[in-house]
Amino acid sequence: MTSPRRIVVTGLGAVSPLGLGAQATWEGARDGRGAIRIHHLDAGPHAPDTRDTPAAVIEGDLLGFTETLVGRKIGASLDPFALMALGPAQEALSQAGLIRAEVLEDRTALVLGHGFAGIHTLEVGYERFFGQKGTRMHPLTVPKVMVSAPVSAVAIEFKIRGPVFAVSSACASSGHAIAQGAAFIRSGECDVAVVGGSEAIVTPCCLRAWEGLQAMSPTTCRPFSLGRDGMAIGEGGAVMVIEALEHAQARGATILAELSGVGLSSDAFHWTQPSLDGAVKAMGRACEQAGILDGQTVLISTHGTGTPLNDKNEAAAIQAVFGESAPRQPVIATKSAHGHLIGAATAIQGVIGLIAMREGLAPPILNMLEPDPECPLDLVLGEARPIEAQAMLLNSFAFGGLNTALVFRHWR
Amino acid sequence: MADLREELIDLIAEEALIDKAKLVPGATLADLGLDSVGVVSVVFAVEEKYGVEIAEDAFKDVNDFGSFLAVLEGVVETKRAA
Repeated sequence: MTSPRRIVVTGLGAVSPLGLGAQATWEGARDGRGAIRIHHLDAGPHAPDTRDTPAAVIEGDLLGFTETLVGRKIGASLDPFALMALGPAQEALSQAGLIRAEVLEDRTALVLGHGFAGIHTLEVGYERFFGQKGTRMHPLTVPKVMVSAPVSAVAIEFKIRGPVFAVSSACASSGHAIAQGAAFIRSGECDVAVVGGSEAIVTPCCLRAWEGLQAMSPTTCRPFSLGRDGMAIGEGGAVMVIEALEHAQARGATILAELSGVGLSSDAFHWTQPSLDGAVKAMGRACEQAGILDGQTVLISTHGTGTPLNDKNEAAAIQAVFGESAPRQPVIATKSAHGHLIGAATAIQGVIGLIAMREGLAPPILNMLEPDPECPLDLVLGEARPIEAQAMLLNSFAFGGLNTALVFRHWR
Repeated sequence: MADLREELIDLIAEEALIDKAKLVPGATLADLGLDSVGVVSVVFAVEEKYGVEIAEDAFKDVNDFGSFLAVLEGVVETKRAA
């Protein structure tokens, strides 16, 4: 039996509350420019009064940025969650040197993850229907709301004609998207996969729904801190181009990292409480596959949501998987800067973490009051810290108990 | 009502993503790539902007952009005159 194909990353793209573009997003994280702020979301005359809602939103001109990138008008034809996938896809494919490449015609997969769908369009439509008692819905409501809208928009834009679909697993959606794309390459069915995710749920009604879960902070996200009291929602999208190593080398592409471990598991336990076993299983599988448990330095990009339960469980899982070397691994939690992008969380943290590894700088965890002694980890605090990591472990643990852990090795 | 006509053309160009220069009276809706979804999107935008209601069968005799525009103009003007 031949050994499985090696998979490398050749393109990155992102839009986030930290900035438009992967580089701007990275710089925001590196410089500790937190984007979580208090907002008042007005849902119109039929809704209850607004109230303080912490969230991280894209503050720049997303539509203008995307129209400039793709070189045409988009207008109101896409819901924001599709728009947040299109720009990053263009950026990643462009960096990979694959715009209009022949491989897109057949041997390229496109898989994006989203925890939700076109919530902005849905809420506007519902307001028209239930609030204004409008008798007709906008004709583009269905194509704008459906969870596969972003992959269709990206496929149409770049003529990607291999396997194209969306996946959903709440906060691990884009982790599963990356895993699925890698599986297409590993099996030999595709040479390239465009993977990632997007999410745009900072809307008045959806955020009330999240508050109902009792997992939201009334102020901000403080991962691994004493006094942490929940998560803050963010929005954005991120895309990676991954491809077979030999395919990348044959065309002389610049290799950014190697995707060397994929660990997937399900807790099958509880809607909102994490399980130590499920997290350890996913992380352990990914780390063993990548062969990084021999004491080398691993940058750990934690799920780090800032909820009391998640962070304690994740710290315990890191100790269980890394053993003696656990206290020496630099730990980051960038949701403290860009908020929780839910279906896009893994992808945005992947983009930030991969640039961090290449730059040799770990971005700081923000909003720390005092490290929680129940999370005895080497937390990167204050400002970006120089690191020499051989690999990055990227964790995502979704509500409903769906876990992904990915390991990317530094490419020299 | 040249101002209204100009406003409507701008709205159609924006809503249906059609180059404004192509929006001339003799162009057929097919030439413009204005399919049924595009037509309803424009109708929706006009209804929202001008607070009018456009009947489902309003375009049954429309075959080119000129007559399409005339229907929209007529509805808005009727509302304004009321």
